[in-house]
Amino acid sequence: MRQPRFIVVTGKGGVGKTVVTAALGLAAAQRRRRALIIETASDGSLARLFGRSTLGPAPSRLQAELDAVHVDARDLVEQYFARLLRFRWLSDRLLSSNTFNALTAAAPGVTEFLLLERVLQWIEPGLTGRHQRYEVVIVDAPATGHVIKLLGTPRRLAAMVPAGPLGTTAGRLLQLLTDHQRTHVVLVSLPEDMVVRETIEAYTTLRGDLGLHVCRPVLNRVFPSRFTAEDGQRIAASPDTGPVVEAARFTLAARREAERTSAQLRRALDEAPIELPQLFGDELGAADLGPFADVLGPVVLDHLPPRTTPRRAGGPRRGGSG
Amino acid sequence: MQSIDALLRKRLVVCVGCGGVGKTTTAAALALAGAQRGKRTAVITVDPARRLKDALGLATLSVEPHRVVVGDVHFDALALDTKHAFDALIQRVAPTRAAAQRILANRLYQELSTELAGSAEYMAMEKLHELLHLHRYQLVIVDTPPSAHVRDLLAAPNRLINLLASRAVSLLQAPASLLGAGSITGRVTVGALLKVLQRWTGLDLLRDLADFVTAFEHLTEGFTVRAEEIGRLLHAPSTAFVLVTSPDPHTADLAAAFHRELAASKFPIAGIIANRVVAFPRVRDQQAAVAGWDEPLRGRLLENYAALLRLSRRDRQTLRHLQDATGAPLLAAVPAITAAPTSLAGLADFAQLLAPA
Repeated sequence: MRQPRFIVVTGKGGVGKTVVTAALGLAAAQRRRRALIIETASDGSLARLFGRSTLGPAPSRLQAELDAVHVDARDLVEQYFARLLRFRWLSDRLLSSNTFNALTAAAPGVTEFLLLERVLQWIEPGLTGRHQRYEVVIVDAPATGHVIKLLGTPRRLAAMVPAGPLGTTAGRLLQLLTDHQRTHVVLVSLPEDMVVRETIEAYTTLRGDLGLHVCRPVLNRVFPSRFTAEDGQRIAASPDTGPVVEAARFTLAARREAERTSAQLRRALDEAPIELPQLFGDELGAADLGPFADVLGPVVLDHLPPRTTPRRAGGPRRGGSG
Repeated sequence: MQSIDALLRKRLVVCVGCGGVGKTTTAAALALAGAQRGKRTAVITVDPARRLKDALGLATLSVEPHRVVVGDVHFDALALDTKHAFDALIQRVAPTRAAAQRILANRLYQELSTELAGSAEYMAMEKLHELLHLHRYQLVIVDTPPSAHVRDLLAAPNRLINLLASRAVSLLQAPASLLGAGSITGRVTVGALLKVLQRWTGLDLLRDLADFVTAFEHLTEGFTVRAEEIGRLLHAPSTAFVLVTSPDPHTADLAAAFHRELAASKFPIAGIIANRVVAFPRVRDQQAAVAGWDEPLRGRLLENYAALLRLSRRDRQTLRHLQDATGAPLLAAVPAITAAPTSLAGLADFAQLLAPA
């Protein structure tokens, strides 16, 4: 059996993380690799892309080889402690305590850790086999800042709690995350100056500071090149300020911005971004996912980056690229 | 637009919305518009990426107010450093200097203070209080952190207090209190629970935590008083919340969710500001509009126009749905043609579109 892959899709709010996640799920399923999509936002936009109204707390089938699940912070806490404490009466008491709830709500890293711990259950179910095993697990993760925190949690935890079951789990997670052949981060960006800058910052942090494998960034909503260079000159020179010509100027400006930001990403990261086109339909639906899957699948799923030696917990930080 | 002028007559404007909708730029442009209307104005950002300084073309933006001059007006801008603000707060509310030192030196505090859920948000509210009272600004614009939920932002003070004032202290001193258990079965439960938790975390973590929470015990009163003041400030008639969004259906849904949360907590909501709106008007006779152009460019112009009309309709529908869902008015729709400003001149252009002087 092929080694399971864990894919984290992130980027600023509104850049199209959900669509990229869904398209990657579709691409995995097309390759007959059992895939699970994890939705962390509670707006149901992922479900809608597949014509569902909501997703449940247990994996449910979207189509052949493709399941999806919604994870909720509170459920994660409850299920983890129920499992940890084994006895229902014990966990019930703990979970009904205000102090415990205040503590888990405010303490940093708790839900992050539990989310990753849950992912581990899905790709390394172990001997108990309580969960189904997936070959590809894709998480539609929160915005970049949170993801950096999320993916940094096991390292911090492993340093704070070196021994015991918690420390062991943290160590296993750290191994999973820093294994370039198993975990990949997909950064979604837009052809806008500030978004691209944030993408570059996140890429550097995730790759350099956290030692993760980051795929070629995805540049979403790239305007098509509808006009030739000569067209562009004529449109720019025209005195016409009616809506039809102004619309052409808009497209030309948007196209220029896309080319400029694409070059900016390529220069900064030494990798060309994966470009996804701006769509002009009414609302994004399942029909739009196919072409996106065709573009994303080969880069993210078919490509296997060079092997890395996973680092030990609490080891020194490695600078530069991983 | 007149409603933007009404907004700028408030004393405190809080911009909320998800990340990536131009919230920081909007906040900076509102500050400029306020200054242009003769107000002594400040804008504060808690955005960890400090993108405000990009928007303002500033290399340095710190916790101290920094004067931004645009043409013949000026306003102050500052960025919040959560760690710095948290340390300052501890020093202010701790009963003695020794108590403050003890907290600041705690390993867990050092690890957690910047990341304790809601601490950035809480500190923003803190700083706000200081700005309005100490610096006597007439208008303060707040660019909130890109929280997923308003509750993270506004419940932050309460959440910190809940944690600190809850029986976390007694929990760690007398574990039985965690479950409120005085009975024998209660004590057995707690004994079993603690065994698991200690094995799970290792002992040191629990000890550090006990130390941390004990040190905080004396601070809760100071926190509570402050949080109440901030709560009053945020509900005052001179305060307005603005939902900043893009016309993307997904971000509009999030804006509607923000609105529900704000309304549920009875915060004063002024309306919606939409950025990057595509809005091309429909021409009556398209063929006549391109009569002066020859093929193949004429065909391309029409094809492109048709595509942008579809985008315009999509944006219009999304914003109409958002207004229907929230009952909040659209204060401004900034056209999409403007790239995010990276200079002060760009910011002035943006402000002109947002709030024509």
